[in-house]
Amino acid sequence: MFAAANTAASIVPATEIRVALAGNPNCGKTSLFNALTGARQHVANYPGVTVERRSGSCDIDDRSVSIIDLPGTYSLSSYSPEERVAQDELTATPDVVVMVADSTQLQRNLVLLAQIMQTGANPVLCLNMADEARAAGQKIDLPLMAKLLGFPVVETVGHRAQGVADLKRAIARAAAQPAGRSRLVLGELMEQALAAIRPLLPTRAEKIFASDWMAARLLAGDREYGARVQAMPGGQAALDEAKRQRERIEARAGVDIAVFVTERYFGFVDGLLREVRTQASTADARQLTDRIDAVLVHRIFGLPIFALVMYAIFWLTFKVGEVPMNWIDSGVHFLSIQVANLWPAGSPSLLRSLLVDGIIGGVGGVVVFLPNIVLLFLGLAFLEDTGYMARAAFLTDRLMHRFGLHGKSFIPMLSGFGCSVPGIMATRTLENHRDRLVTMLVLPLMSCGARLTIWMLIIPAFFPPAWRAPMLWFVYAVGIILALVLALILRKTLLRGDDAPFVMELPPYRLPTLRSVPIKMAERAGLYLRKAGTTILGISILLWAATAFPKPSSYRVDAEIAAGRIVVAATGHAPSQLTEQQVAARRAAENLEHSVAGRLGHTLEPVFRPLGFDWKIVTAMMGAFAAKEIFVAQMGIVYSIADADKGTAGLRAVLARDYSPLVALSLMLFLLVGTPCMATVVVTRRESGKWGYALLQLGGLTGIAYGLSALVFQVGRLFI
Amino acid sequence: MTVAARNTPDAEISSSLEDYLETIYLLVQEQGFARVKDVARARDVKAASVSIALRRLAELALVRYERREYIALTPSGEQAGRRVFSRHRLLTRFFEEVLSMPAGAAGEQACAMEHSLTDDAMDRLVRFFEFLGTCPSVVESFRQCPMVQDSKRGPHVHIGQLPDSCAVCSKKKESMSMSLGDVKPGQSAVVTKINAVGALRQRLLDMGVLPDTIIEIERVGLGGDPFWVRCQGARLALRRSEANSIVVRPAD
Repeated sequence: MFAAANTAASIVPATEIRVALAGNPNCGKTSLFNALTGARQHVANYPGVTVERRSGSCDIDDRSVSIIDLPGTYSLSSYSPEERVAQDELTATPDVVVMVADSTQLQRNLVLLAQIMQTGANPVLCLNMADEARAAGQKIDLPLMAKLLGFPVVETVGHRAQGVADLKRAIARAAAQPAGRSRLVLGELMEQALAAIRPLLPTRAEKIFASDWMAARLLAGDREYGARVQAMPGGQAALDEAKRQRERIEARAGVDIAVFVTERYFGFVDGLLREVRTQASTADARQLTDRIDAVLVHRIFGLPIFALVMYAIFWLTFKVGEVPMNWIDSGVHFLSIQVANLWPAGSPSLLRSLLVDGIIGGVGGVVVFLPNIVLLFLGLAFLEDTGYMARAAFLTDRLMHRFGLHGKSFIPMLSGFGCSVPGIMATRTLENHRDRLVTMLVLPLMSCGARLTIWMLIIPAFFPPAWRAPMLWFVYAVGIILALVLALILRKTLLRGDDAPFVMELPPYRLPTLRSVPIKMAERAGLYLRKAGTTILGISILLWAATAFPKPSSYRVDAEIAAGRIVVAATGHAPSQLTEQQVAARRAAENLEHSVAGRLGHTLEPVFRPLGFDWKIVTAMMGAFAAKEIFVAQMGIVYSIADADKGTAGLRAVLARDYSPLVALSLMLFLLVGTPCMATVVVTRRESGKWGYALLQLGGLTGIAYGLSALVFQVGRLFI
Repeated sequence: MTVAARNTPDAEISSSLEDYLETIYLLVQEQGFARVKDVARARDVKAASVSIALRRLAELALVRYERREYIALTPSGEQAGRRVFSRHRLLTRFFEEVLSMPAGAAGEQACAMEHSLTDDAMDRLVRFFEFLGTCPSVVESFRQCPMVQDSKRGPHVHIGQLPDSCAVCSKKKESMSMSLGDVKPGQSAVVTKINAVGALRQRLLDMGVLPDTIIEIERVGLGGDPFWVRCQGARLALRRSEANSIVVRPAD
C-alpha cells in the first residue's frame, strides 16, 4: 500500500494542494469540511491565541489535499481573534481559498468573498445550502457568475454531502489554473484610493501585504495592520498616503471611511447578484423559523421552554446514560476478576495489586462515565447545530449581563457542565478579554461531567430515591448561582471595563446533520478518554503507590490472632470471628493507614475536621485535585483495600455506613466549589496567559469552598 | 405653463435689449431723463449702437422719443426695466451679502444671471431672500458652518454625494432624531448613522447595518433587553445599549 502510494507520487510529481475554507458563521462550513475530509481531520489550537484550528485532508484525483477550516467570520477586519486567525491563514497564501456562502443569505455572505478577492487569493465560491435557497425560489446563473467572477462557482448541500464531487473538481481546476486579476469593482473613488496606496506598500514575501486588501485596511485605518506596515521599511509612506486618501474620501463622500468601505463591498455584491440572480426568493425561507421562534423565544414561555430543554438534555445524559454505564461497569468488574484470578487467592503479588487496584480500578472507574459525557456533548451539539444555542444566548443575555457576563458566556458555561476544560477553551468566542477572563475564572463552578461521577456515587448512597433528583438539581443550582455572584464581584473589582459587542446573528433553524454528530462525539470522547488514559492512569498509579507504600513490618490483626483474641472461621459474624477475606481486609486497612497517603490524610485531617471530613476523604480529595473523577477511583481504592467487595454499589453501602448525610452535603459542596482540577488550572493558565489568574482561580475557589462547607456542616450540626 | 407663455410680453427681448431697458430705467430714476449719449456712456458703447437698440425697443413699444435725443419709457417699458433692475439688485445683494462675494464680482455675476431666470424661479428666489432677511440666524449659521469655512473642500460639489451635515448640525440633528432603542417592537426604522465605535461599529457594519437600510424590531427580550431585529433578511440580537448607538428615522 505504501509502495503503491510512492509510485503514484513519482508518476504525479505535483505537491499537495493547500486549501483554506472560509465563510461566515452558520454557513454550514463545518459540515462541508466533514463531507470533504470524513474522519481524516484533527483539532488543535492556534499557538498563542485561543481559536480552534481544524485541519484535515482528502484526495482529489490522486493528489493529496490539506484543508484548513478557518474560523467563521463576517469580515477580515482585525477586531476578534477569529478574524485575526483567518487573516493570518490567508497570509500564508493557501493554493485555493474555498469561500463557503449560505445561499439563503448571499448578500451578507458575499461581502467576505469581496474581501478575500482583494487579498489576491485564488478563490472558489461554494454556494452552500443550495437546496434551501432553491426551495425558496432563488435561481442563480452559475456559469454567468463564474464568468463574471473569473473563478469556479459550485453549489453544494453540505450536510447531505451533495455537490462535494463538484467542489473537489473545482478545487483541482482552481489549483491548476489560478484565477487572474481580481474582477472586484468597488467604484472609482475607492479604486483610485487603493491604486494610490498600493504601489507604496512595502513588498514582502507574503503577497497579502502588497494586496488591495492591505491597501483597503490601511485606508480604513486598521490599527493592527497599520502598526505592522509601519514597522516595515518604507511603510510610513503607505500610511501617509492612506491617511491622505482617507481624508479625501471622507470629504467627498461625506461619510466616515468605515461606512464608505463597507458600503462599497455591499455595493459590489448587490451589483453581482443583480446580474446572476435570475430569480430572487419568492417564498420567505425564514417562514418556518419565524413560526418556531414565535414559540421558542416567546416573551413569557421562552425561558420556561429553555429550562425544559436543559432538563431534557440532563435527562438524556443521566437517565439514558445509565444503561451503557451499567454495561461498562459490569465489563470492568468482570475484567478485574479475570485479572485477579491469574494469581492464587489472597496472593500478596504487587503486580496483581497494581493491575487490579491501581490500573483497572482507577481508569475503569472513570471510563464508566463516558456515556454521560458523550450524551451531554450530543445534547450540546444538537443545541448548537439546530441554532437554538443563539436563542439561548438571546434569552439569557439579560440575566448574564446583569452579572457582568455576556450572553455568549452562556455557551462556554453550558459546556462547563460537560467538562471545564473545553468550556474554558470555548470562551474564545468572547471577543473581549475581560469577558473571557471572568467567564473562565468562574467556569469551574459549573458542575462538570467528572464531578457527576462523584454525585452519582454520593447522592444514591445518602439520600432516598425521591430526594436524589432534587439533590442533583440543588448541587448544579448552587454552582450556577455562586458562579454568577462571583462573576459580578470580579466584574466590579478586578476586571472592570466596557462591554464587548453583543451583536449576534440568529440563524434559521436547521436539522442537525447526522453526519457531523458522530464526528463531534468521537472528538469529545477522544479528548475525555485521552485525559482519562494518560493523566488519570499516571495519577492512579502514583496514588496506588502512595497507598501501598511504605508497608508496615507487622500487622496488628496477625498479632491478635496469635494472641487468640480473634478466631479465623468459615463464617465471620461475631467481632471475634473473621473469615480469611476479612482478615486480609484488615491487613490492607492497616497497610493503607501506614502508607504515604494515609499518613498525609491523617496529618491534614484536623484542618478538614470543621467540614466533617475524616482522613479517608482527605486522602481521596488529594486525588480529586489531580482530576475530579479520581475522587471516586480513590475512594474505591481506599475502600477496596479495606473491603474485599468492589463496585460502586458496594462503595455506596460503605460510605452510607461511615458518614452522615450532612457530611455528604458538606463534601459535595467542597468538591463542587473547591480545587478545580489540575487540567482546569493548567488550561486557565494557558487561556488567560498568566499563572496569576490560574492561581487566583485555584486559591479563591478553594477558600470559598472551605468556608461554605464549614458553614453548612457547623450550622447543620446544630439541627441534626 | 411653459416658460414662453409666462414671459409673453418680453419673449422677444434679448438680454442686451434688457440691459438697455435697465440702463434707461436707472437714468430716468437718477436724473429724471435719459439721452442717447447718456445711455452710450453708461453702457460704454457707441451712440450708433444705442440708436439701433432704441429703434428695436421703439418697435416693441417699450420706449419713445420725447424730444430730440431724449428718451422716455412707455408704461410697459418702465415695468420691464424695473423688473430687470430689481432682479439685478437682488442677485447682486445675494452674491454680496449672503455668499460674501466682492462687490464688483457680485455685480458681474448678477448681470450674467438676471436675464436667464424665469419669473417663477425669480419669485422663489425673492421669497427665499425675504426669508433670509427675516431670519438672519440662518445666514449667520451658514457663514459659521465648518464645512463652508473649509477651503480644502474645493469648489466642486458632486451631486449624489452631498454631505450629510457638518459636525455642528449633525449634533443638532442627532438630538432631534431618535435611536433604534426608542423604536417599539413591530415597528421599522431607517438607519441614518452609526455612532458606535471600534469593534461594535465594525460588527454592525459587517452585519449589514448601514445607513439607509431598514431595521425592524421583531421582539425584545423579557424586561426590554436584548433587541431582536431584522436587517437585510437576517435576524440579529443586540443589547439595548447597542441599539441606542444606532441613529434612525421612522420608516416611510
